[in-house]
Amino acid sequence: MDCLHTAQLNIAYVDRLIVEDLNLCVPEGKITALVGANGSGKSTILKAIARIMKPKKGSVFLDGQSIYHQPSKEVAKLLSILPQNPTAPEGLTVGELVSYGRFPYQKGFGNLTQEDKKMIHWAVDVTGMLSFYDRPIDQLSGGQRQRAWIAMALAQGTNILCLDEPTTFLDMAHQLEVLKLLKKLNKEEHRTIIMVVHDLNHASKFAHNIVAIKEGRIVSEGDPQTVLTKGVLKKVFGIEADIISDPRTGVPLCLPYELVQEHDPVNIDSRMSYI
Amino acid sequence: MNSLSHLEKKKKIRYMVTICIFLCLIFTTFLLSMDAGLIHLSPIDVLKVLVNHGTSQQELILFDFRLPRIVISLLVGSGLAVSGAILQGITRNSLADPGILGINVGAGLVVVLFISFFSSMQVVPVFALPFAALMGAVLTATLIYILTYKKGQGLSPMRMILIGIAVASGIEAALIVLTIHLDPRQLQFVTIWLAGSIWGTNWNFVLTLLPWILILMPLAFSKARVLNILNLYEDVSKGLGMAIEKERLILLGIAVGLAGSCVAVGGNMGFVGLIGPHLARKLVGPKHQFLLPASALSGSLLLIVADTLARLIVQPSEIPTGILVSIIGAPYFLYLLAKSKA
Repeated sequence: MDCLHTAQLNIAYVDRLIVEDLNLCVPEGKITALVGANGSGKSTILKAIARIMKPKKGSVFLDGQSIYHQPSKEVAKLLSILPQNPTAPEGLTVGELVSYGRFPYQKGFGNLTQEDKKMIHWAVDVTGMLSFYDRPIDQLSGGQRQRAWIAMALAQGTNILCLDEPTTFLDMAHQLEVLKLLKKLNKEEHRTIIMVVHDLNHASKFAHNIVAIKEGRIVSEGDPQTVLTKGVLKKVFGIEADIISDPRTGVPLCLPYELVQEHDPVNIDSRMSYI
Repeated sequence: MNSLSHLEKKKKIRYMVTICIFLCLIFTTFLLSMDAGLIHLSPIDVLKVLVNHGTSQQELILFDFRLPRIVISLLVGSGLAVSGAILQGITRNSLADPGILGINVGAGLVVVLFISFFSSMQVVPVFALPFAALMGAVLTATLIYILTYKKGQGLSPMRMILIGIAVASGIEAALIVLTIHLDPRQLQFVTIWLAGSIWGTNWNFVLTLLPWILILMPLAFSKARVLNILNLYEDVSKGLGMAIEKERLILLGIAVGLAGSCVAVGGNMGFVGLIGPHLARKLVGPKHQFLLPASALSGSLLLIVADTLARLIVQPSEIPTGILVSIIGAPYFLYLLAKSKA
């Protein structure tokens, strides 16, 4: 079942159309990974889904209702987003940051209710941040920091969690730590997760559903076996790759070995122009 | 769950202690400040006056000169510091304050215009000055807002600060040109105003300023929760369902109202709006429910100390309080910069 889909979504930076007529379906209770080259529009799509960017045309539907026709605070109770590499004010503690996730539910001076406190405690606990509760964010390691931000998004109490490259700037152990946490949230708490990831093998190992995007259009979507093929990789990333089966889990893994010559794989110029 | 509420309690106690220490320090300085000045009153004299047993000269000094001045220092200090805390919150830049954004000099420009307009008359209608200053502050803020606003992108905090600095230096230049045409007496007044001297030393000025503080300060405190979120990464605030542009505009309005009304009575008081919140943040952290009240008190303390010293150091004359705040503030600020990691 789809809990979220986009209809004829057109997104533009000023006058440059990045995404054209996108119809994307996100299955409920699954992990969906958006993959694509730099500048392919995958982050832009995620931002539009989380209404951080207003589309030029079309809409995003959550349980059949357009998110642009609902109060932003109500949408914030259904869907949360963790942007790429966010920064917290100096000295802000983990506990304070996570409590900010309750903003959509608060009124007036913002005293925390019992329900708020329960959610904050759960979010801090499930991300393994209890022992860091009183520590300033700026004194944490990259992986802990990312977990603190995920805890804030969780405190929002939404069914859908959007994450923009949650593993960038992290070393391999911390990448795995964050991805395993997401998997756990999906499995035990039945959260629907939509994430932009760069590492295809991470997408393959952790996502149920992969959407490969090129120039704002969907090239291929489906389970890892469907999407991670030689043809799709060639088209989306401009690489030649071998696809092997993971000896441990059997999911496809890709081993790139050559650039496709006539293709400009990393279209840096197009990205620079709208930064 | 219990351990967390324990941690929260500890934090709250720390905050309460900080507030109490501030209040004690302010009260002590308040007592000392009543004694200080060209004509020294001993604490016993002050006590006598307070219980209605002083000489009429002592009464005049205390009730008509010193007390209103002290009250104004307290109000101006808290107003500017809270204004600074708000501006630092919405711009996510700890260097923002009403001074840097040109709001102070904007008020100054209108004051000078006002004085030169009335220069043909012998007496300048001083009671209209606060309103002139406030108008100047609002006009400057509007100009900065219009210049910063970009369709489709809204208000970029960094742009706002840069444009604020540019507008401030432009206004400063205009001020210098304008002061050339003033006669010596007016020039002296303008110079003192710009240096930040609490010149409105009678109860009427307290009454002019008080309503602004009484309305805007609680309004600012009620927005603490919103400020917390605005102080985060912009996309995070949007994701939490915050109407960023609207809330930013409201808070900018509150900050300008506070700064404008304070500057009107207190003159161009730099640094309080910058250092007050910094000091408070060091002590209670960046959460605005704690930060705003602590800023108000640290600003009050800073200004009442500076004003007391200003009356003592070069008797029988006095240093403009604003200059003294800078003398105290600059080394502290350099110390902060040297200590910060980044």
